[in-house]
Amino acid sequence: MTCSIDCHGKTTREINRAIRQAIAAGEREIRILHPDARHNLGVALLEPVRIVYEGSVGYYCAGMIDGAQVEIRGSAGWGTAESMLNGTVLIDGNAGSGVAASIRGGTVVVRGDAAARAGVSMKGGTLLIGANCGYMAGFMMQKGKIVICGDAGDALADSMYEGIVFVGGKIASLGNDTVVEEPTSEDESWLATLLHQYNLRGPNRFKKVVSGRKLWNFDKKDLEVWRAAL
Amino acid sequence: MCGIVGYLDKKSDPEYPIGRTLLGMLEALSCRGPDSAGVALFDSPGDWHIRLSGPEGLNSESFIEALRKLGIAVHRHYNNGVYDAVLSKGADVSTLEDQIQLALPDTEVICLGRCLALVKQVGSPEKLEATYEISKRAGSHGIGHTRLSTESRVDLSHSQPFWAHGVPDLATVHNGHITNYHKLRRLYEQQGYRFYTENDSELIGVYLRCCLEHKLPLEDALRASLDDFDGSFSYLAATDDTLAYVRDRYGFKPLMVAETDQFVAIATEEIALRQTLGEDFVVYEPSPGSVGIWHTQQPALVST
Repeated sequence: MTCSIDCHGKTTREINRAIRQAIAAGEREIRILHPDARHNLGVALLEPVRIVYEGSVGYYCAGMIDGAQVEIRGSAGWGTAESMLNGTVLIDGNAGSGVAASIRGGTVVVRGDAAARAGVSMKGGTLLIGANCGYMAGFMMQKGKIVICGDAGDALADSMYEGIVFVGGKIASLGNDTVVEEPTSEDESWLATLLHQYNLRGPNRFKKVVSGRKLWNFDKKDLEVWRAAL
Repeated sequence: MCGIVGYLDKKSDPEYPIGRTLLGMLEALSCRGPDSAGVALFDSPGDWHIRLSGPEGLNSESFIEALRKLGIAVHRHYNNGVYDAVLSKGADVSTLEDQIQLALPDTEVICLGRCLALVKQVGSPEKLEATYEISKRAGSHGIGHTRLSTESRVDLSHSQPFWAHGVPDLATVHNGHITNYHKLRRLYEQQGYRFYTENDSELIGVYLRCCLEHKLPLEDALRASLDDFDGSFSYLAATDDTLAYVRDRYGFKPLMVAETDQFVAIATEEIALRQTLGEDFVVYEPSPGSVGIWHTQQPALVST
């Protein structure tokens, strides 16, 4: 059974209330019609429901969700799926800056391009980008995996603590304290499965970017630099 | 915050309802800027015309008479102190603003040109429509602004768009904060350029004017501003035949672009494009540090 909510004529608060009421009434599949790139839709939903947005969404859609399967049949604005705990967010179009920032689990798939700061401070989960991404993707990420099928922008994975970033295309520049490694056969098989699961085509070879771990500890050699800076 | 919008009809149809489109886009962004609203609309070239805001305390008859002596024939007077006028044939537009300032200090020239109609005021886009009926205006392209003031006064002068004083038919709208404004303003003031407000966004017009006066093409001036301005900025510039965006190198301020065979539309948020123009096109966020330029009836020129 699918329930539909038409956004036309409703305030954002009314749309979100309607989504919550539908879930409370036992609906497990909800279609959102005419979202028209509105902000803050379907945030902090904690139930494993399927929500399909029939169009583009604005900022922060599907943020802080725990277990929902969200499909966006259009593009998504800044901070989509931010801080999600678990679930799946599929974006058919492009994603604005900060997609999947700070997620703790689950999977975010952007079929098109992701703008700047994708997957910053990730603490788990997977971010899959079908095309290219902007600068500083994976900045200070602590856990989880980012897969970029196309090209990555400047300062990729700057100051990452842990986690892995795979890049299929060119890397404009690497961030501080990152190391490029050869993917293992386990990595390659994981990548192939992931791409197949979401029906995306990647290149045959990916570069694997991990933390150099030099920023983990204070280095006495840097003391003079810090003295000058402070 | 602030919201900026731009639209260019690729057929350059002078009958395109540009006012209605920009108003719809501004209404969608009005929550980003409740303080003031404005649009700069471009039509095919007509007579030289000017829009002015009169000094407080001066009665309209004396003001209109003083303008007449300068070859400026007022044909419309709005009840908010704004006047529309046409210039007599042979008026020297390059010195006209100086002449006005000399004869009528505290008069502000809101816009001057053959194609540009620029209206702005304190309040919402709906109020702008109530005063100026912009939805009835036709034209090939235009830009608009809703303002949330963070730095300077909320009044007509400090509202956007800004006409680039001294350059007919050049207008800008800006979302962000140019942090080396004071330094650049001092530099330009030493060179004799005048600033009419304390709004950092006014700097963009002065900067472009200075570049143009040094024979730099507008395209090059827009690209050079990426290096010369500090801070956060997504801004649009429009002339009689051009619509352009400039986005700072960090992409601090949002900007979305949609381009089809019929139009190019630019807005701070996608909501302005969807609510006004529908679902049948792709929207993208241009790269930080990029400039996009479209000319009426010519292909796009986008560079990063």
